[in-house]
Amino acid sequence: MTDVAERVKSIASDVFGVPAHKIFPDSSPQTLERWDSTQHLTFVLALEETFQLQLSPEETERIRTVGDAVRLVEEKIQVTGE
Amino acid sequence: MPIAIESYREEHQNAVRAFNQRLRAGTAEPDLVFYERCRPAWLPKLDGSPLYNEYFVAQENGAVHGAYALKYEQFFSPEHGEFAVACYHHPLSEGVIDRNYFSVGGLLLRDAVRREPRLYALGMGGYDHSLPKMLKAMGWELRSVPFYFHIVHPYRFLRQMMVLRITFLQRWMMNLAAFSGTGWAALAAWQKIKRLRVGRPLGALEAVEVEEFADWADSLWLEAKHAYHLASVRDRQTLARLYPPSQKHLTKLCVYQQGRPIGWAVIGERRKDPKYGSLRVGSIVDCWAHPANATPIIYCATLKLEANGMNLIVSNQSHEQWRRALEECGFFTAKSNFVFATSKQFSALLQKGDFGQFHVNRANGDGLPANF
Repeated sequence: MTDVAERVKSIASDVFGVPAHKIFPDSSPQTLERWDSTQHLTFVLALEETFQLQLSPEETERIRTVGDAVRLVEEKIQVTGE
Repeated sequence: MPIAIESYREEHQNAVRAFNQRLRAGTAEPDLVFYERCRPAWLPKLDGSPLYNEYFVAQENGAVHGAYALKYEQFFSPEHGEFAVACYHHPLSEGVIDRNYFSVGGLLLRDAVRREPRLYALGMGGYDHSLPKMLKAMGWELRSVPFYFHIVHPYRFLRQMMVLRITFLQRWMMNLAAFSGTGWAALAAWQKIKRLRVGRPLGALEAVEVEEFADWADSLWLEAKHAYHLASVRDRQTLARLYPPSQKHLTKLCVYQQGRPIGWAVIGERRKDPKYGSLRVGSIVDCWAHPANATPIIYCATLKLEANGMNLIVSNQSHEQWRRALEECGFFTAKSNFVFATSKQFSALLQKGDFGQFHVNRANGDGLPANF
């Protein structure tokens, strides 16, 4: 697992109140009970702060699972790194 | 195609109606619906006026899945003069009935902050609701606007205040207090004592019902605005938009002391609410004066609401002098679920100013048409 994936998992664990070993790439609002609109916003804000990113509304909308968040952050970091 | 947030236009109206139907079917809240017309009935945009409403919808392939409104207005602080802010109101997301739309609530809020960084929200039913939680997550500052109530008819209050008569024990206690006379006698005596203390030194007061705010309103605004750390603009022009003569459900009072206008109040009867049973509930909705003159204004507003047959009178006021005025006029205080929240940028402007020096009440926000 990449460093980004580990850190996203850790954020998801904190925000959704679930132990990290129970967070998977396909974890979503359907599988994590506390993943509601408020916690989604908290998750997005935490990603932005941790990785020093700005996510657009379209990007925020793309995050439907923890794996989506990992992919998005990795993409953004690559773009920023170039 | 991702969800896009855009200005609410005529072409969205059918989709908003469909959105409302889904919300009605999915929740037990009849008020949980968005405006079905894109042109605001209350405070539409007019040339030159900084006070107006604007609506936005979150749409995806022609279907609306969320919406919100901004009420643009001017605030004043002695440090910054007049400046524009907006009130974030009526945010609605399909996420409340369908988890597939869980992200819409956050999208709406972030879109609003992007459009107008100086934002506030008001009311919201308390800190434990999802909107205040989201605002907190976004770094907003949240404060309760203190709530006050005055019992005009203690017997009716004890018998009909449904929110205090939920359990059998509560009902039994309230009935005992009402029928034995002890409860209402104590309440009535306490309020009268307070009122006597304030009534005598107020001198020659006259409250005149007015159709509209005249030049005296401008004078009062200019005389008093520097006495508050923050107030929404209440000059004559603004008041004419907020309280037009055509609006009959609110009463405007100009209060004179020894023949000179010293302040004004706007009062009205609240719509029926199951928690108040059949009580007639009056509200001191808005008021303005130099803080030193708060008591005579509250006193006259209270007398007028009593004369109009109200059983219970309520008000939310943030400023310490207006709160003291309410207490001096026999009001009790109770836990408030009326929250005033300011965005990061708005909070930064206020520099953690003392909320007791802000002039915030139920006339702020979006409540004037029906929820004051």
